[in-house]
Amino acid sequence: MHSQLLFSAIWLPFIIGVLFLILPQNKSTSSYRLLGITGGFWPFVVAWFLYSQYQSDGLGGYCFEFILPTGLESLGIYLHLGLNGISLPLFILSATVGAAAILYALDSKDARLNLYIGLLLIMLSGLMGTFASIDLFFFYFFHEFALIPTFVMVLIWGGLARRVIALEMTIYLTLGALLSLIGLIALYQQSGADSFTMIALKEALANQPLSETIQSNIFALLFFGLGILVSLFPFHSWAPKGYAAAPTGAAMLHAGVLKKFGLYGLLQIAIPLLPSGASQWSLWLCVLGLCNILIIGLVTLSQKDLKQMIGYSSVMHMGYAFIGLATFSILGAGGVLLLLVAHGLSVALLFLLSTSIYKRFASFDMTAMGGLGKIAPNLSVFYVLAIMASIGLPGFANFWGEFLIFTALAENESMRWVLYLAALGIIISAVYGLKSVGLIVFGNPPKHIQVFENQASNDMNFSEKTSALILILSLLLVGVFPKIFSDRANEALEPLYNSQTISSTASTAVSIFTSTSTEKSVHSDLDACEDSLALNEGLYHE
Amino acid sequence: MDILTILLIILFTPLVASLVIILIGKERRKWAPAIALLGSIGILISTTGLFLESQEFSYQYSWEWLSFGENTFYLGFVFDNIGATMLAMVSIVSLCITVFSMGYMSDDPARGRYFAGLSFFMFSMLGIILSSNLIMIFLFWELVGFSSYLLIGHYFDKNEARQASQKAFIVNRIGDFGFLIGIILTYWQFGTTNLEAIAGAVGVDASLISHLIGGLLICGFIGKSAQFPLHVWLPDAMAGPTPVSALIHAATMVAAGIYLLIRIDCLLTLEVLTFIAYLGTFVAVYAGFCAFAQKDIKRILAYSTLSQLGYMAAILGLGYSGIALFHLITHAFFKALLFLGAGAVIHACHHEQSIDKMGGLFKKMPITATSFIIGTLALCGVYGLSGFYSKDAILIAALDSNFQLFLLLILGAFLTAGYMGRLIWTVFLGKANSENADHAHEVSPIMSGPLIVLTLFAVLVGLNHYWPFGLGGIVSLDLDHLHHLEHYKSMHKTVLIWGSAAWIVGLLGSLLFYGRGSKADRLQDKAPKLYAFLESRLWMDELYAFYVNKIQQRLADILSFLDEVLLRGFIIRGGAGLVGVLGVGLRILQVGRLNAYYLWFFVGLILLWLYAAS
Repeated sequence: MHSQLLFSAIWLPFIIGVLFLILPQNKSTSSYRLLGITGGFWPFVVAWFLYSQYQSDGLGGYCFEFILPTGLESLGIYLHLGLNGISLPLFILSATVGAAAILYALDSKDARLNLYIGLLLIMLSGLMGTFASIDLFFFYFFHEFALIPTFVMVLIWGGLARRVIALEMTIYLTLGALLSLIGLIALYQQSGADSFTMIALKEALANQPLSETIQSNIFALLFFGLGILVSLFPFHSWAPKGYAAAPTGAAMLHAGVLKKFGLYGLLQIAIPLLPSGASQWSLWLCVLGLCNILIIGLVTLSQKDLKQMIGYSSVMHMGYAFIGLATFSILGAGGVLLLLVAHGLSVALLFLLSTSIYKRFASFDMTAMGGLGKIAPNLSVFYVLAIMASIGLPGFANFWGEFLIFTALAENESMRWVLYLAALGIIISAVYGLKSVGLIVFGNPPKHIQVFENQASNDMNFSEKTSALILILSLLLVGVFPKIFSDRANEALEPLYNSQTISSTASTAVSIFTSTSTEKSVHSDLDACEDSLALNEGLYHE
Repeated sequence: MDILTILLIILFTPLVASLVIILIGKERRKWAPAIALLGSIGILISTTGLFLESQEFSYQYSWEWLSFGENTFYLGFVFDNIGATMLAMVSIVSLCITVFSMGYMSDDPARGRYFAGLSFFMFSMLGIILSSNLIMIFLFWELVGFSSYLLIGHYFDKNEARQASQKAFIVNRIGDFGFLIGIILTYWQFGTTNLEAIAGAVGVDASLISHLIGGLLICGFIGKSAQFPLHVWLPDAMAGPTPVSALIHAATMVAAGIYLLIRIDCLLTLEVLTFIAYLGTFVAVYAGFCAFAQKDIKRILAYSTLSQLGYMAAILGLGYSGIALFHLITHAFFKALLFLGAGAVIHACHHEQSIDKMGGLFKKMPITATSFIIGTLALCGVYGLSGFYSKDAILIAALDSNFQLFLLLILGAFLTAGYMGRLIWTVFLGKANSENADHAHEVSPIMSGPLIVLTLFAVLVGLNHYWPFGLGGIVSLDLDHLHHLEHYKSMHKTVLIWGSAAWIVGLLGSLLFYGRGSKADRLQDKAPKLYAFLESRLWMDELYAFYVNKIQQRLADILSFLDEVLLRGFIIRGGAGLVGVLGVGLRILQVGRLNAYYLWFFVGLILLWLYAAS
């Protein structure tokens, strides 16, 4: 029953989406609206209902398992769905962002609204599938399934340079997807597992770990392949332009949810299954992650276009996730998971609000804005809160993500240099965040902006407000009570990340670049002892 | 009721008030002041109830908030004598300021936002006071920063407010950068961030503390308490409404830095403490000099706040955290009084803030003027007023520990009397120097009432032996320690002579030099170069502006250019090989219909299916 519900979160939006594509295009009635809302909110309702029913005693830590033969059994491929503590928060994230995006989109005045809604619903269905898949083939399949509507939407609504931008996005994302597909297939091949599910792979690899070279090569494929999808430096340049061009709903769903596919893959598959491969690449994870934070952070600072600024800031925040993964600890992985949820919600909120702001100023150029506080007070409050969330103000979910990642970085003294550099990001993001608030909200409205006498008609309307509220309340919920996700995530992460050898080899890999600190505490001495012990054991086993 | 419930009520009353103001919508303009007032009264009543309930002030409670692997993070309350003293001060001062705001902001159309912000600030401030561990302190630490940002930016259409609010938040973030790393390192060092547990661990093994952790943790203090070199935000923060300056930027939030130091005292090594002492003394003198070259009444008071925070830091660095707390409490009352007095003057003069354009206000607003002058005398440390007791104790302790610092602190006291003398003689005596000042008249009772109450406190709060409920335990402890020093009597005499000389010379000297109600600044006329030097404030603001505009922004622009041109243009897009081939391939696919993607996708799918089925 519950697993059927889980499946319905995928097929219902899809069917409604297809209906929107088939039905006459230029009509928009309240029954259309109702249909769209049903499709958009069904996964949301299902996700929270399943959350309340979740018990982590299923096979391999998965709950609500659902298996459907698809005719590909000879390849070991089944439509195998289920949720564990890691995928559940992301499942809820995509349902939440999807609901907000579709509600917001229903209000837009586009001539081809039904096409737009239809594509968004299909995208949502793909997203729900991505995070509900246990089978790696379908994990990948649903990702592609959600990606294609993104390209189509950029092509249709992408503004003047849409062809170039869509092309660039397509090249990057296809390349990334291709590399990670090769990586996944290689992993499946090498593991000798009899099915393409994560559970089977885990078991096979636990019995028979891969050699270090193979691990390293496969991890490199997955790291760079998935990294491109998450806009890892220097493969990020598709993201800001793409988001700037994409229509709001697509930008919200892609930047907020679909992009998390790559990090989710690293978190749930690549690092736990390829520990020694990952540790060989840990320095790269740190360095490229730091480039994301520091270089892209500074690049964000010089953006004048609001949507591009948000796009770059989203690229920047992904850097925290990469360095969090490089800690190879439960704490770091938990931080990454919370950050993924938080960032998804906050960046979706920012894209949503940026469009609302655009409607008031008829421009995305921040230097041409000003005085939003006078034009639309409620919208201003939302924007300030959204910026505060994205720069990690406590009370919003982003804070816990960043905090846990920072804390995990400091566990090993050899990794602390990463912390000192990465934490500079909290200053950089405050600078660009407040700068944008200063330009948009503060000051007086520009002369050419038409301001209605009645303030209510300038400010947010009902669906703008509701969709923004859904996102901001979710951010607050996780920010105030991180336990709602962290406890379950902890249970799921514990078996994946509790291996001592991972962290010790990782720390030795990174420590080459560290100056030794003269001050050593009792605890760190103990840690060091344990580390070297674990390292010796590791060498012995080899 | 048990203590936990009351603590929760105290903490959440202002949050609820703030949320109610936000949620009532259109009616908020009308009801906001009343709701905020109810919130403040609620805090005061429940605080009193708490004091009656808990006599010995030792309570701890914590919740497990988040846990991953073996790492668990807690949030929790601590309610001890230090917290209780702070709580008493904050609840009284904030009630006075809320009442005053009802008058001051009565014609502001955005007072809903104002009172919601004020209540939210109260929530965050109380959170800092009641936190039992560093992580929770940090949470609320950032939230006070956020509410301060909102309130400084209250007049958001003014460019000044825009700049000032951003500056305040970002400069504080710089301090928080160090503070956050310090907290994280503390966590790994001790396995907890609970302050009591840390104090216990340090008590057992003093080698656990280190310069690095101490030095990082005090970054938070340097930012929040606006110490050099992160002091630049505080004078600019005067762009906010005056009651906000009184509450946040004089009495409570900036003092939170000192409060933090008192809490983490055990984590600071001797070298770090000495550094704090010298830093504080430097700021006490530096800010005193700066105040002479300011004409805005609020900015003069802001520099005075900086200088007094320097005093607190100095004495804390010398090892007397109780005396620091004492000065924090007395300062909170008289500085809140001075700011509200300034607010009354500004209100009466139709938002004129330059002291050159005031003058002769004593006759026009006697209540305000009298209370302001009493506040000034308390600040200068005149015998019998609250400032005297705490400043006296600071000077005796300094004399005992470090003679150089003592001399500098005496110089600071002299400067304080000098610039405050300049302020009161110029503003209240002589004749009105502008039309606005000429038309000024006494403020309404809703504004003068809080002034009178605060005046009473400014006079009496120095008598710490009479504090009710045994508040200020560590204050008495440190004072007793002073009294039992070997040469206490002779030192006390020295301090009495020097301290009194400082304020007498300062006040009279400024009267003689500046004259009554002068129109132009005499120092500026006589020694323009000296005045210009003082006005430059060691060019710190210029230095930061240079860094931000010329270095940081340029670096950002250059990186942005490189990102655009090099990465996008040449390396990625121009690169041949796989990307290029893919691009050509995709270009073919892309031509024509939109759903070509879908077509190819499904072709691939069918191929796969056929392969699997065969």
